[in-house]
Amino acid sequence: MASINAGNRVALDDLVACRSCDALYNKVDLEFGEATTCQRCDNVLQTRKPNTVDRAIAATLAVLVLMVMALCLPFLGLSRAGIESHISILDASIELWREGFVWLGVSAMMFLVALPLARFALLAYALLSLRLGLFIGATHRRAFRWAEALGPWAMIDIFLVGAATSLVKISTMARLDVGLAFWALLGAIALSVYTESVLCRDTVWEAMQPR
Amino acid sequence: MSQQASATPMLTAQRAGLARCPACGVLHKRAAVACRRCGKRVHQRVPFSLQRTWAFLFVGVCAYIPAMTQPVMFTRSLSERTSNTILGGVWTLVEDGSSAIALIIFVASVCIPLLKFVIIAMLASTLQFSFSMSTATSHRLHHFTELIGRWSMIDVFVIAILTALIQLGTFMTVVPGIGIDAFAVSVLFTMLAANSLDTRLFWDKYDDVRPRSG
Repeated sequence: MASINAGNRVALDDLVACRSCDALYNKVDLEFGEATTCQRCDNVLQTRKPNTVDRAIAATLAVLVLMVMALCLPFLGLSRAGIESHISILDASIELWREGFVWLGVSAMMFLVALPLARFALLAYALLSLRLGLFIGATHRRAFRWAEALGPWAMIDIFLVGAATSLVKISTMARLDVGLAFWALLGAIALSVYTESVLCRDTVWEAMQPR
Repeated sequence: MSQQASATPMLTAQRAGLARCPACGVLHKRAAVACRRCGKRVHQRVPFSLQRTWAFLFVGVCAYIPAMTQPVMFTRSLSERTSNTILGGVWTLVEDGSSAIALIIFVASVCIPLLKFVIIAMLASTLQFSFSMSTATSHRLHHFTELIGRWSMIDVFVIAILTALIQLGTFMTVVPGIGIDAFAVSVLFTMLAANSLDTRLFWDKYDDVRPRSG
């Protein structure tokens, strides 16, 4: 790395390579809302989205609050012959573990609790530090990188479809009702999709550039 | 789109002697270093990407066999005990008249995994044995597998929910079987297989061939 002098660094930052096919382009100045795509593979090269940090922070914090609600409040309730049981996602995961279904419990804990929370907590940490004008160090950049990498492994959206499927599946045997957590999870998923759409990686990485 | 895609051999970062950080996109003059911006290891092409893909795919396919043959769920009620495989469960749902749910489970647990095995094996083969497949097609198939891969986990969550919810005990219990663990392993490793395939390799082959023939 020592061999790269300041002159080269400026030139390097004026270039952009396609993520999926490696084609090299000169960077262009974009207006808000514009994006460029790779000529041969159609992948997005550069984006510029307005107000990205503010919007993403708002959505991220909302997702975190909704996630905590979705995990701790009763998610589904089952009643049959006068017996009722309500269960939250967090309790359910712990219960699975305790009953001896270790792998299922661990999977639930990982994909529904740990990874989604970690993803949005890291995102909130990186973006808030940026917004508050704190010194941006390697930790912040690493946090943002990890938040991005965790994306496909946070599976709350898939869980919701699974939950809907289970609802229909047991509805013949018992009366089911959905708790507040179900709607909180729905909100969290909607807002995480929103976060995805307003978050401009280029802008954030540029702002986090070590100086 | 495919005509356009195949008509433009281009200068790539690799040919320019540069390496793109896979995480933050910043360009480097040297490969095999930690990214100066985000700390991720930077390579011109991910080393052993193809070998890793094959290895992950192999585990995914192996784990899929017990996932299909072993029970994923045992149901105990006062009158009967039943064990269900994934396909058995789908059939039960069809018999019960919940065809829509049966379709969701069938697509997520059977169609998507099998499709992914075939696609990943095909993509890896095009790189390994130089089968001819259009680069644009490879690219699009890879994007597709990355997009749908996670959704196979639906069945794992369904079983987790049923198990947790029906611990009422009095009228019925649901116990997960070893099949569902194998299934989860299969899905996760297939996701890893798709993730570890370096898509830039599809275009390299093309970039290498084109200038020589033209």
